[in-house]
Amino acid sequence: MANQSPAVVMDNGTGFSKLGFAGNDSPSFVFPTAIATKGPAGGSGGTGSGRPGVANKPSFLTGGAGPTGHLSMKRGTEDLDFFIGDEALAASNGPGIAPDILVPAPALRCYGLHYPIRHGQVENWDHMERFWSNSIFKYLRVEPEDHHFLLTEPPLNPPENRENTAEIFFESFNCAGLYIAVQAVLALAASWTSTKVTDRSLTGTVIDSGDGVTHVIPVAEGYVIGSSIKSIPIAGRDITYFVQSLLRDRGEADSSLKTAQEIKEEHCYVCPDIVKEFSRYDRDRSRFLKHLVSHPGGRQVTVDVGYERFLAPEIFFNPEIYSSDFLTPLPVVVDGVIQSSPIDVRRGLYKNIVLSGGSTLYKDFGRRLQRDIKHLVDDRIRASEARSGGARSGGLEVQVISHKRQRHGPWFGGSLLGQTPEFKSYCHTKAEYQEYGPSIVRRFALLGGPGGS
Amino acid sequence: MLLLDYQNVLIQSVLTERFSGAPPAHIDQTVSDFDGVTFHISTPETKTQILISLQIRCFKELVQYGAEDVLQREYGQYVVPPETGYNFSILVDLENLPADKEERDELIKKISLLKRNAMAAPFEHAYSEHYKLKEAASKYTSEEAPQGVREGGEVMAIHYRDEEAIYVKASHDRVTVIFSTIFREETDRVFGKVFIQEFVDARRRAIQNAPQVLFRNDPPLELQRVPGVRETSGGEVGYVTFVLFPRHLTPQRMPDVISHIQTFRDYFHYHIKASKAYIHSRMRRRTADFLQVLRRARPENEEKERKTASGRTFRVQGA
Repeated sequence: MANQSPAVVMDNGTGFSKLGFAGNDSPSFVFPTAIATKGPAGGSGGTGSGRPGVANKPSFLTGGAGPTGHLSMKRGTEDLDFFIGDEALAASNGPGIAPDILVPAPALRCYGLHYPIRHGQVENWDHMERFWSNSIFKYLRVEPEDHHFLLTEPPLNPPENRENTAEIFFESFNCAGLYIAVQAVLALAASWTSTKVTDRSLTGTVIDSGDGVTHVIPVAEGYVIGSSIKSIPIAGRDITYFVQSLLRDRGEADSSLKTAQEIKEEHCYVCPDIVKEFSRYDRDRSRFLKHLVSHPGGRQVTVDVGYERFLAPEIFFNPEIYSSDFLTPLPVVVDGVIQSSPIDVRRGLYKNIVLSGGSTLYKDFGRRLQRDIKHLVDDRIRASEARSGGARSGGLEVQVISHKRQRHGPWFGGSLLGQTPEFKSYCHTKAEYQEYGPSIVRRFALLGGPGGS
Repeated sequence: MLLLDYQNVLIQSVLTERFSGAPPAHIDQTVSDFDGVTFHISTPETKTQILISLQIRCFKELVQYGAEDVLQREYGQYVVPPETGYNFSILVDLENLPADKEERDELIKKISLLKRNAMAAPFEHAYSEHYKLKEAASKYTSEEAPQGVREGGEVMAIHYRDEEAIYVKASHDRVTVIFSTIFREETDRVFGKVFIQEFVDARRRAIQNAPQVLFRNDPPLELQRVPGVRETSGGEVGYVTFVLFPRHLTPQRMPDVISHIQTFRDYFHYHIKASKAYIHSRMRRRTADFLQVLRRARPENEEKERKTASGRTFRVQGA
């Protein structure tokens, strides 16, 4: 039976988890990577040590003063009393509170909300294990012993984290096989669906922009060039804040974060030239839009939408209009990343710049990025031609690829690779795990690389 | 989450979204459920017609026990000829939905219970057989009852997984459901034993009206002469027997009992895994505590040996 059941693809990100089966074109479930457990949200739960909030010390260590939680008291099933995903948000908020208000009155809260993944890496393994358990049994409804699993990890994930993951998947869940892939590589694989991609290479630059942070990751032949990765502290959330601040400046009737997010998602686009766009707006009043906000009570408010339509995504290209500490535009960062990579892969990196994540979905984002990087590259080539005195360069192809699966790029790449017939031979099985121990997952054969399909 | 849901959450959420009046969209998703069941939700012709197909390993056996009738009863007008590669299909037309919100929710619920309903056939069959036998047995005293009535019905085998099966047998005073279980892992077997022991003891302790549970490693007597039951060696295969008494066999209780008993295997495995997760979290907690003790045990003023630039060493007291 294990031979025909589809592989399970799980992409657990900082903000959202994408779960589904290989072969599908979209994840079956997308929900926040959140878990709500009984008791208040312990501050120590996510401080980085990965320790649970309440220490359960034996009495000889605490001198009898510590919590008396002993086995005899733990006969119940409190450890199963938790929710994940959207249900977690609902449980922690208590009834009747809009989900965008994150800090409800403490009295209403009986479940504490935790985010087990921080900055792409698992911080609290207890919560993560339970999160996985619930996603497998409640949402995906699979017997892990029958299925192979494809998980994702961020670039530069420490190998210890991989080992921990393998321990959980093999020891707790007895999964049939496990493959852990790097998100950036999967995002590259997802771009194979674009018509612009002719050769299925795993060399390219991935621009992964989610909610919290934007990464620029160079990948050569399926391996991440770790030393050249750059992050930019501007991502989806900052764009939302920026839209919100513009709304507040104008004194709109509704300037909540939710409204700002809706405006961002529905109306924003990238313009070729900011000055021309301003004058175009002044000439053509039809470019100003109205956005209808409906409140839970049935009340409706109209909000004007103006320059923020093109100004909001502009903070990627001109960060100085939003932030005062980070001033390097995205095209410059991308160019710098490729320039700091080994010289023999740079051509491939310029040729295959792949977008991934929700904050790259703005209309014409790819086109603008391609134009700006092309300018930088051409300027440099011209300058060096002038310095060399007469030598001519053959030019350099810069291509930014946007495709339909951008939003859940890593997940889709995983689904694509997970359905290939040879996927299962790339996985490590439980027998191999028991033979070599957890360190086996430090190495995986490159899925979809040369030799594969 | 103590009990597993009976319905498939994905089908439920997809249909809820579609039925809510959202603009029609193309769907093509393959979805798994427990026990190797595969669903395929698609919109093959137009975006308003959703085809839901089910593929289940033991469909032939289920048909033998009357699955078609049960499915016909549940889904009546929606049933269409099965999609190739699947055993059973239903087609829902979004333009032709019940107008009432409650009826629509009812339909969603029904469709998401597709697997449960397909598997329910042998159990329903056993129920009706039990009623018949009870009727017949009431005419006799226990001694003079003819062989057929005393023995009860045929054993119905459902090979729902490669190596595991459910056997259902109806008698005039009870319905016996036997699960054969197999564990690949030594650890799982131990956990499994503890859990089953809990089940066996449950009646003795508190819950008087629970069905009787028996566990043994060799095939129970009911399964003698049933083809395909192997004489086992090494105790790899275990047999869990549930004896449902007339109290559980009332027509009102039937749907609940069937749903519960169907999910037994998955419930069982889910809890084995959940308890492993719990033990792991205790282990992590304890390790963290021991590490803290170790950190505290380090002396504060350690005598350090230092070197000058020229290579001579000297000692420093304290920091």
